[in-house]
Amino acid sequence: MISTAATPPAKPQSYRTNVEIDWCPGCGDFGILNALVLALQEMKIPNEDVVLTGGIGCSSKIPHYVNVNTLHTLHGRSLVQAQAVKMANPRLEVISASGDGDGLGIGSAHFVAAGRRNVDLTYILFNNGVYGLTKGQASPTLPYGEMPKSIETENLKFPVNPLFLGLASGFTFVARSYSYNIKHLKETLIRAMKHRGLALVDVMQPCVTYNNINTKEFYDPRLYDIEKEGWNPAANNEEEYKQKLPQAVAKSMEWGDRIPMGVFIDYQTETYDQKLQKLVPDYGKKNYVMEPIDSAGKPLNDITKLMESFC
Amino acid sequence: MHDLNLMVAGPQGSGINFTSDSFAKLMTREGYQVFTNAELFSTIKGEHSYFRVRVCKDIIRSYSERIDILIPLDSKSVLLHVKELSKDGSIIYEDKLDDPRHAIIPYNDILQTVATKFGKALSEFNVMKNTVALAGATKMIGIDKEKLKKIISENFASRPKIAEMNNAIVDEVYAEFKPSKTFDLEPVTYKKRMLINSTHAVGMGKMVAGLKFQSYYPITPASDESNYLETIMDKYDFVVEQTEDEIAAINMAIAAANTGLRAATSTSGPGFSLMVEALSYAGMTETPVVIFYYQRAGPATGMPTRHEQGDLKYALSAGHGEFPRVLIAPGDHKEAFYDTVEAFNIAEKYQLPVIVLLDKAMAMSNYTVDLFDLSKTRIDRGKLILKETKDYLRYRFTEDGISPRSVPGVKGGLVTIAGDEHDEDGHIFTEDADNRIKMMDKRMHKTSSILKEVPPDMKVKFYGKPENKKVIVSWGSAKGPILDAMEVVKDVSLLQIRMMEPFPVEAVMKYLNGKTIIDVEQNYSGQLADLLREKTGLEAISRIVKFNGRPIAFEEMVQVLSKPKLGKREVLSYD
Repeated sequence: MISTAATPPAKPQSYRTNVEIDWCPGCGDFGILNALVLALQEMKIPNEDVVLTGGIGCSSKIPHYVNVNTLHTLHGRSLVQAQAVKMANPRLEVISASGDGDGLGIGSAHFVAAGRRNVDLTYILFNNGVYGLTKGQASPTLPYGEMPKSIETENLKFPVNPLFLGLASGFTFVARSYSYNIKHLKETLIRAMKHRGLALVDVMQPCVTYNNINTKEFYDPRLYDIEKEGWNPAANNEEEYKQKLPQAVAKSMEWGDRIPMGVFIDYQTETYDQKLQKLVPDYGKKNYVMEPIDSAGKPLNDITKLMESFC
Repeated sequence: MHDLNLMVAGPQGSGINFTSDSFAKLMTREGYQVFTNAELFSTIKGEHSYFRVRVCKDIIRSYSERIDILIPLDSKSVLLHVKELSKDGSIIYEDKLDDPRHAIIPYNDILQTVATKFGKALSEFNVMKNTVALAGATKMIGIDKEKLKKIISENFASRPKIAEMNNAIVDEVYAEFKPSKTFDLEPVTYKKRMLINSTHAVGMGKMVAGLKFQSYYPITPASDESNYLETIMDKYDFVVEQTEDEIAAINMAIAAANTGLRAATSTSGPGFSLMVEALSYAGMTETPVVIFYYQRAGPATGMPTRHEQGDLKYALSAGHGEFPRVLIAPGDHKEAFYDTVEAFNIAEKYQLPVIVLLDKAMAMSNYTVDLFDLSKTRIDRGKLILKETKDYLRYRFTEDGISPRSVPGVKGGLVTIAGDEHDEDGHIFTEDADNRIKMMDKRMHKTSSILKEVPPDMKVKFYGKPENKKVIVSWGSAKGPILDAMEVVKDVSLLQIRMMEPFPVEAVMKYLNGKTIIDVEQNYSGQLADLLREKTGLEAISRIVKFNGRPIAFEEMVQVLSKPKLGKREVLSYD
């Protein structure tokens, strides 16, 4: 690994930094990085208007490889910080990355609460069934009874199904893709970013070092695209959503010889910034970040009326 | 009389706070100084609670052990509090009492008359017994009934019919109640003042500071502040976000701060405990986030609605690793306001987490405060970059250790925030030993600039005669009873320590060197005295502590300070 005081500056408009990647050779994370960079290039969003957050773990290092604003947060806190970034500045394109341990273990409270808000951002779940960075312990998505080579005893816990939990929590866009299918993943990420609301992209991402069960050889013959088999995830109103949600849930529970991927639900409804306007009518009209709060050091907010209200 | 003390006591939910708040407001509008103390049980309905309102023409900063007018709303309250009633006092109670101090008001006749007038059953008016008592008290003090009625109308602005009924009761009490005793307060010259607690002061401070994002998880006694902010967010155009837990609250505030907003969170001890990992993260990432920490009696759930200053050492040391932080402890509502504004300036100027340490007494004790002087407030956003820039590095090494701070959306100023040790551009793939030393130096160096640049009265404040041999050291809300007691016990001064981190050694030494030091704190062990010893080597000869969940009363403070010889440890226990 190269260690220098400062990494060389990236090429302008490039969405990749020159930071050397420290993932294991063959890691499924590379596919997600490539698909994300391709998606950003295709969408042509200025680098400075994109924010990418990560938690802690192998996958959560992705912010360092993407040439946008990045918040490398704490373990489990990628999604919660991402929501605050978007609330603070709705003009930004916000993407949150996290592993299955980060997002569904230590960060599961935020995952559920995020669904309740429906902040307009894209959450990419790097799902490999193990905690890679700490040498392969069982993660919340590892199936019951499995024992990848990195753990000493079989897994006694039932797995969390990210799609089912996402649907149950209220994510308005729920999709699954695969890190070795860059085309599908890139297209899914673009759809997720274009979706107005909270999007979950659960990415099957083999860990080549520790998980010798959920491998490329495991996924390749099993994954099928539900949309190619006729599923239309679009729900344009509450009625359609209520009708499609149970079907999407049923599809999300499939696991075995056939594993579904594609978009399960794409529901257009009120986003959190629209909901905030009910309480703060001017919310989003001005850019909070660029709006001055002082004039040459003098505060601009006048609290005379507030003081009067206590007299 | 110089000061008048009224207590309303009864089961939680019986209107005791309405009664005491109305009285406090009324006396504020009369031009008096008012100090209130709320002792609530941690429940919604039924348990015994009591409110004290102290009124005086001069400034008062503490409650008195003496009650002049007692308004018990149940028999339990009579039994519990009659011992505090002064011999010249009055007790306003509906049932007959074998006590010459009983002020007899014909509750039933009055309520029946009003019920008949409104065509209602008497039973519907039982909930308004507190208004009978309140009107009885104000009549004994000689307050114009119309002024009381105005306050009642304001309190029930959304329910005019209820206001009308209560005001009819006021009329009836003033007509029917012939008190055998009156309370004649020394006259006062009217001055406009606010009746507030620190949650209001902090809330207003945040508006002046330009706060745009507040996140919180409900917790006593901190959430009153967030709830107050929620009532004004439409007018001041900012966001208050109630999160799923305190971990989310602090992480959201940090992220909003790194997005370029002035952001804060408010909490109490249990919530702060959940925030600690992120506090350390804010230190490492040089994030200007401000945490408002309202202490309550711990440990664990402790006594959620009761008072304590037990978290000083914790707030000073919480968080893994070494990182700079600023800890400020205001001692009254006025300081809470100005400190709030300044906390955001310090956070942004030095790019670090700032903790404003308050307590339950400040959060729940309403008292009169002069209107804030807004000309004394200022905003300093430090090295914030909001315009196009180039060759930007988030953690660039500079002479003062503070890097220019860009935010997302600024062309050429891509932000890379990282909680791992990082190099100048925020990337983490260096565990280079030299870089580590330089980065630690960069961050830790900030504290020396802060000590140099923060104005002297934000570090310490000295009260009393400089020549006094005895000097009290104290902090936070303990200041109130100490200052009140110093008007009686004149041979002792007070050094209020306001900034505990970085600790202002020089300023403290200047006032304490060669003095006899008496420590006064509202915790078990005397945490400030420990800190003083650690930082200066100075030792308090006595630690006067109180940790029964109640703030210090005026009389017990006078009593202990008047002792000819103080013990090494003096425990106050008035409740």
